[in-house]
Amino acid sequence: MSLYPLLKAEFRLVYGELFRRKSAFIAMIIYPYLFAGFTLFFGYTIGSPNLFIERVGIDPVIFMITASYIVMSITAVIDDVLWRPLSDTYIGTIPYILASPVNRIKLFIAIPIPRLLAMVSMGFTSITPIYVLYHGFRGAVTALLIMALVALGALSMVSIAIVIAGLVHTISESWRILNIVRPLMMVLLGAYYPRIFMPFAAYAISFLIPSSHIVEVIHRLFIGSLDGIYISLAIAITLALLYMPGGMKSLMYWERRKVAEGVKTY
Amino acid sequence: MYIDKAIVVENIVKRYRVKKKVGFLRSATEVVEALRGVSFSVNYGEVVGLLGPNGAGKTTTIKVLATLLTPDSGEAYVAGYNVVKESDKVRKKIGIMLSVEKGFYGKLTGRENLEYFAALYGLDGRRSRERIDFLIKLLELDKLGADYKLLEEFSLGMKARLSLARALLSDAPILLLDEPTLGLDPPSARRIRELVRDLAHRDGKAILYTTHNMFEAELVCDRILLINRGVIVAKGTPQELKQRIPKLRIVTLSVKGRDNVGSVLNKFGTKFDVKADENDLYSVRIHVQNPEDIFNDVVKRFIENGFEIISARIEEPTLEDVFIYFSEGQQ
Repeated sequence: MSLYPLLKAEFRLVYGELFRRKSAFIAMIIYPYLFAGFTLFFGYTIGSPNLFIERVGIDPVIFMITASYIVMSITAVIDDVLWRPLSDTYIGTIPYILASPVNRIKLFIAIPIPRLLAMVSMGFTSITPIYVLYHGFRGAVTALLIMALVALGALSMVSIAIVIAGLVHTISESWRILNIVRPLMMVLLGAYYPRIFMPFAAYAISFLIPSSHIVEVIHRLFIGSLDGIYISLAIAITLALLYMPGGMKSLMYWERRKVAEGVKTY
Repeated sequence: MYIDKAIVVENIVKRYRVKKKVGFLRSATEVVEALRGVSFSVNYGEVVGLLGPNGAGKTTTIKVLATLLTPDSGEAYVAGYNVVKESDKVRKKIGIMLSVEKGFYGKLTGRENLEYFAALYGLDGRRSRERIDFLIKLLELDKLGADYKLLEEFSLGMKARLSLARALLSDAPILLLDEPTLGLDPPSARRIRELVRDLAHRDGKAILYTTHNMFEAELVCDRILLINRGVIVAKGTPQELKQRIPKLRIVTLSVKGRDNVGSVLNKFGTKFDVKADENDLYSVRIHVQNPEDIFNDVVKRFIENGFEIISARIEEPTLEDVFIYFSEGQQ
């Protein structure tokens, strides 16, 4: 079974939901601004932009809108993979998915891609106008580069998200755990809180998250320190590939547990 | 193994462990026996009804066969494949219809929903389009606007038709239908019943059909398995099952006359009830093993004794009587 029909089906499903649910569509467009605006408001209220530039090396407006865009795009992937088994259980589609001969790993790879594409394209409405405002044409080119890196970063999260999904959903009331996992991921990505400032334990965990390396590459691009960015990219891709067999095992484990206790059919 | 049989179930047992709170911090585990040694088989080209009240074990049986539940013991084979050890192969051979109300994506149209599920079965492009076109026409979903209406705007009857269309997407030889007409309006229920019979008798599919509607089981099913409390209490064709409770076969007469009804019937030596109505009108119910043997004699004897026959008929037991008979026997 090839990935293509599954991708097509997921595109139809996600875009059907996205474009027919206008509130979701509007929220998707304004979220990076809301995130960035909220953070900047507090940042300017209690801190100094100059101190921020001194410590982080980037203008806070650029940093926050970029960080919001990165977090939104990457968490969209994590959310799609992590929450899908739950939403399919709630909707009642899970027995039809599990009783079908579909290749589970291919399905879970296909699941986040449509929303990922939508989120990455959102770069045209979020980071691009701000970059162009600050840097002119060079800003537009940077925006394209950042969008490509974010796409790669988000894709590299698919396998680890599958590993987590398979394990978490074997536990009852898994949504409670997901509500802890999600903000932790957001912090450990290093988008709002650069990895170089993290304590060692957090840094070590962050190192195991593939897209945190891509986020570091983006950070380095902004501060103009390009040393070792290829190594970071390679680490991200290697980690993503290393998690894939674990993802397969995790999905199989989840399915076995589900079938042992009985898939809910309503 | 069992290549010629569509479904073979051998002594399946399933126990659920249900946690119950017994105190603020304490909980106790209660074991519920959903299936207690269920065995049966289904051939290609027949509709077999799994008939029983709520909680009898119908859905649990369907879940086991659909590879959605692992039995504690016993074996089940679908199209010759073991449902536990060869679940991947089983899934290619089955079409399932579970709850009618749920199980679709609300923001997609009927057609888009079918396209999604077709992809899960590896159907794509022209093959998928042609199959969906065919099914939409077959189930008359085109007339109901399934092509452009979002699922959330569907009535229950439309959802049921769409659900059956999904079960037929891969043209699987074995269909597992769990209460497919539950809550449907009579035209939709009738359409589904007609289709189910056609799919088995015309297309040679094996269909396991659960219901708690006796009338429906009698209309649709070639054979019936009566299940109660996780045990198959009786099996056979609807006719065979009815014949297995001969004490319920009754000759019913309504007669008018002045003579003693009892003296007329004593000759036959069978159990009978007489209810006297007004104006010398009597309702007579004669319990007999083979009513056809005595029916003409009874009518003749009443006439000879000066009775006027208002009506006379042999009452067949209903499937409901059969079910009650076997369920009580089990208790």
